[in-house]
Amino acid sequence: MTEAADRPLDFERLLADALRPIEPPEDLATRMETMLTSIAEQAAAELSSWADELSDGELQALRDPRNWVRPVAAVAVGGAAAGALVLVGLRQRRKSSGLRDTAEQLLRDLRP
Amino acid sequence: MTADEEEGGAPTPAEAPAESKAELDRAFEELYRTHLRDVYSYSYYRVGNHHDAEDLTEQAFLQAYRHFERARRESNGRPLRPWLIRIAHNLASNYHRDRSRRPEAALDAVEPPSHPHGTERVVEGREELRDVIERLQELPDDRREALIMRFALGMSNREIARALGRTDGATKVLIHRAIKQLEELMHPETVDD
Repeated sequence: MTEAADRPLDFERLLADALRPIEPPEDLATRMETMLTSIAEQAAAELSSWADELSDGELQALRDPRNWVRPVAAVAVGGAAAGALVLVGLRQRRKSSGLRDTAEQLLRDLRP
Repeated sequence: MTADEEEGGAPTPAEAPAESKAELDRAFEELYRTHLRDVYSYSYYRVGNHHDAEDLTEQAFLQAYRHFERARRESNGRPLRPWLIRIAHNLASNYHRDRSRRPEAALDAVEPPSHPHGTERVVEGREELRDVIERLQELPDDRREALIMRFALGMSNREIARALGRTDGATKVLIHRAIKQLEELMHPETVDD
């Protein structure tokens, strides 16, 4: 009787022993950081080159909401890149807000 | 945000107060730190090898990042682990569907833990643990997944229910049946019924 009553608990203990959590390999975090850094850098480069290209006339044109598709898309990518840097910053506390600040400042400047 | 709002009429994304990017970043960092091992463990037990488990874990976190803001807004403060594991679950299902294969019979590099017993007991114990892992592969998918969530990740019935998209009651029954079936597979001579 006691043996039968103990069996489920013993078996669950056995299951817990067999299905232990698995520690992720060290290089997984490194690879993820590299991948996210790549995404961030790509987005940052895109945002930067777009901002550099803008002339006064283009800035004027951007006051028209019909021309907002490109900056909004760039800011979205930039925002994703800044977020990606959070993961990168898990080991190296890199400043991740620069790109976001730039994007937000850009949006503020573009508002009429 | 209250439970009433969740049930009755949670604000739509457009109505909800926007969370700052910095807050979202911090929250995602916390999610990543807290649950990297959960996602990796789940992926590993689903695909059966470290290489694909790493790929799945990467994909899961990238996908989680992409949808994090919305998930956080719609979670109404509930833990996001079930959502994260659901992402890993779906990715693992796609993995098996794409490759039309089940997890490999032998999970690589899972060494049963040592216990403070005598040498003979340790050897017996390790064999038994290997047997559990092998028999686990014989269970139907949903039962196996529920056991992985329960025992490898330590998830509650409610969390498992959310991850699998089932009711709490159905999940409780699922886990009970999974344990019973696995025990029958391992010890057919000792199980009642």
